[in-house]
Order: sequence, then structure tokens, then C-alpha cells
Amino acid sequence: MDYGIEVRDQEAVIRLRGRLTFNDHAKLRALIGEMGQNKLRRQVLDLSSLEFVDSAGIGMLLIAREEMERASKQFVLRGAAGQVKRVLTVAQIAKIVPIED
Amino acid sequence: MTTVPPPGRDPLSPGSAATGTQDAPDRFADWLTGARILIVDDNRFNRHLLLALLERGGITLVEQAEDGQDALARMERFKPDLVLLDLMMPQMDGFELCRHLRADPRWRSLPVLVQSSLDRAEDRARAFAAGATDYIAKPINAEELLARVRIHLRKHAMLRDLERFHGRAETELEMARAMQARMLPGPARLAELEAATGIAVHAHFAPSSELGGDFWGIERLPDGRVTVYLVDFSGHGVGAALNTFRLDAICRQIGSAALTPADFLAAVNRRLCGLLPTGQFATMLTGLIDPVAGVFHYASAGSTAPMMWHPGDEAPRLGDGSGLPLGLLPSAVYDSRLLPMPPGARLFLYSDAAIEIPTGDGNGHEVLDEYGLATLFARRLQDPDDAALLSGLLGDLAATGPIDDDLTALLLTRLR
Repeated sequence: MDYGIEVRDQEAVIRLRGRLTFNDHAKLRALIGEMGQNKLRRQVLDLSSLEFVDSAGIGMLLIAREEMERASKQFVLRGAAGQVKRVLTVAQIAKIVPIED
Repeated sequence: MTTVPPPGRDPLSPGSAATGTQDAPDRFADWLTGARILIVDDNRFNRHLLLALLERGGITLVEQAEDGQDALARMERFKPDLVLLDLMMPQMDGFELCRHLRADPRWRSLPVLVQSSLDRAEDRARAFAAGATDYIAKPINAEELLARVRIHLRKHAMLRDLERFHGRAETELEMARAMQARMLPGPARLAELEAATGIAVHAHFAPSSELGGDFWGIERLPDGRVTVYLVDFSGHGVGAALNTFRLDAICRQIGSAALTPADFLAAVNRRLCGLLPTGQFATMLTGLIDPVAGVFHYASAGSTAPMMWHPGDEAPRLGDGSGLPLGLLPSAVYDSRLLPMPPGARLFLYSDAAIEIPTGDGNGHEVLDEYGLATLFARRLQDPDDAALLSGLLGDLAATGPIDDDLTALLLTRLR
């Protein structure tokens, strides 16, 4: 997995690319740190280029959600497709994190 | 020129400048003073010089050999921790002794410190090619020799420490693996269940590392129904495996007899929410096979879609696995769901590893989803032998692509 951060007027958009799995723990930790540092209140994870997520990956997204909550930031998942969308749907993640198309 | 350091500046003492360890107490220091060194040199004067040097450095367990042959004869009994080796010797020279030692598994990683008056680059290269660990040119500088001896003994001690630790970790993981395997229903219990209920169970359980985050259970209730559950913790390895033990205990404590599958999941979820840190969760499917009503009554916390096949059907019917995974939200509630299960029906439950197998040429990022799995399952359904069906299906999965997570697969058949 790799990622790019784009800071816009109202929100920071973090685009994840590739596969988000057990092996990306350190990288996602770094990413969460960066999300905490930029000033914007709304942090959007753009998942449209993410091809695959496993259960550990979902776990890391939930850690990100909690860290953003602690930093009083809004956290949104956007644009999931394919396998990623299926996994988010089956796990009903929308019940705990706002999900946008 | 040889210089012997004065006693007050012992290069072998912990914290000496030679190795740069200045702070923390050296946990290998005691071991170093008990180190055994074999000196191999045909020149008696040289041997005595080295002996004196080592003794000055605090190393007293020293044995001497006159040539390679003599050294080999002494290795077995003396079991040195390091060999100080001359190259040019009669009978068997240092190069050959090196090769002999490296060919023997017992001495493969033994530090062999060559000290020689041969000082051309090609001599050094030859010595290293023969298996030398390090090379010091004569005339010997006492400080340098002792520093290098100390470094190599230290490295060797650390390596042994690491090997011991590794061995212990392996043993413990093996024990934990056996404990986890015992948590799952064994062949005797499954045979008993089949005789009593007419429900045959075939199971496959394959952790992706020594320990897995999957587990499953099945139990006959006094009223004749059968409860089955399949759990998959996020991640895999030791952390996920420890969680399986916790959840197993919780499931037993709650007991499934009095609760509907949906209420059972909600109860397990409430208990897990207080225990799991953020980022850890479990998916779980639990259900009751009711032979009288001919149904499989189930609930799911983000597990995979159960597949049900009825005799005469071409393909299995897919159930619904959606639901919030366990451990995320204490107030979560779960839906009660039903699949008809007449006599002869087959129920297939599996962990998500089965539907996360990459398919195709590797360029795309498609995975075998549940529809792909259902297709593979459908092709095997004509096989009347459940064991053959399951192993055939697992073969199909392995042929689809690499499986890099814990894989559990359960096939339950209503024989009557």
C-alpha cells in the first residue's frame, strides 16, 4: 500500500493505493500521524484506488477513526469499490464510520 | 612487535574501548571469562606467546595443538568456543583444517581467527574462502588480537543465545498450536455427533503461520438441535490466536442453549467490546441446525455468506453474512436469518481466506469472491462422498492462487 495526501480548502484527502493488509501496519501508523498533524478538521480517506483490504486492514481503518475522534477531527471513507466495498458492506462499517460514494 | 597490555587496562573487561560497550552491564561478560580457546600453531614459541596474551586478557581455558591433525583430534573433547589458527603448518595446514571444520555441522559457525605471516591479499582471500572468520597478520599486536577475540566470542555467544531463544520460541509455539488444535472438535466427537444427530461434519483448519486466528465449534443440544459456530479474528499469528482462547472461554460461559443465534452474538459482542483494543475484532457466524423444522437458523457478525445446497439443486444458495464484527460497538444487534435445510442438504461454512484468493494473471486485482467460490463448490456437488468433495474443493482453492491467511472450511451434511 502507498498513499498521497492532498490538502484542500475544507478537507484533507488521503488517497490509498494498492493492497491494505497486515503488512502495512507501520505505514498506516505513519499516515495516521500525518493526518493528525495537518490542521484540517475533515479527513477523507479516498479508497477508490485501493484494490484489496483484509481484516487487519479494516482494523487499521478503525484505529484511524479512533485517533481522529481523539483529535476532534471528522473521519470519512470515500469511493470504495470492488472487493473493498464488499468487505465494508459485509462488516457494516457504515454503522460506525461515515462512508461516501 | 608484540605488546602485552598492563593488567589495569584489560581489553577483555566489559566496557573496554575495543568493543565500544560503555554503558549497560554486559550480559555476555561472565560467559566470556569462561570461554574456551584452541590455539593451533606449529611453533611452540608462538603458542606460548598467544597463551600468555590470552591469559593476560582473562581467558584461562586454553588448549594447544601443533597442526591441523592434532587440532581435529582435540576438537571433540575440548569443544572450543574459538580457534586461533596459524596457516602454514606440517601434516594438515590451516586452510585444510578450516575446510574440515566448516564441513562439520558442529563447527560450522565456530569463530576461526586466522593469524598468519602470509599477508598478501590473495592469502587472505584463500583463508576466507576456506572458512576463516577473521584474519590478523603477524607480527601480532596484543590489543588488536584480544579485541578481535573478544568481538568474535561475543558474536558467537549472541548467536547461540539467539539460537536458544529461537528454539525455545519454536517449542512454545508448537505447544500453543497443539493447545489450539485441542480446542477444536476432534474426530471422536464428530463421529459421536454424527451417530446421534445424523449430521456429518468434515473440517479443514490451516493456520497461515504457526498459530491462527480462526476457530470453530459444534455441539449437540439436549433438544436434538445442533449449534455450530465459526470465528475469524482480525490479523493472524500469536495475537489473533490468544484472542481465540478468550473467545472460546466466553462462548462456553454464555452457553448457546438458551439463546437465539442473534442474541448469542450480541452477548458475545458485549463481552468482547470490553476486552479488545481498537483495531482488533472478530467476525463470527453462529447457527442452529433444527432437524425437526428442517432449517438452519443463523446470525452473522461480518462473517462469510453461508452456502446451502439441497439435493437436486445445481448450485448452492447463498445466505447473508453481513453484520457488524464483534468487538467494535457494544450496542450492536444482529439479524436472525434462516436457510431451509432438508435431509440430504449440505451446509458449507468457510473463513474469508477462501474468498480473498487472488485470481487471474496477477495483473488485475480480482479475488475469488463468494460467487467464484460458489461456482467451484457447485462443480463438486455431484460427489456423494463429503470428504472427497471437501478435499477436492480445497484443491481447487489452492489451484486458484496463493492463500495467505488462516483457512477454515466446514462441510456439514444432513444424512437423515
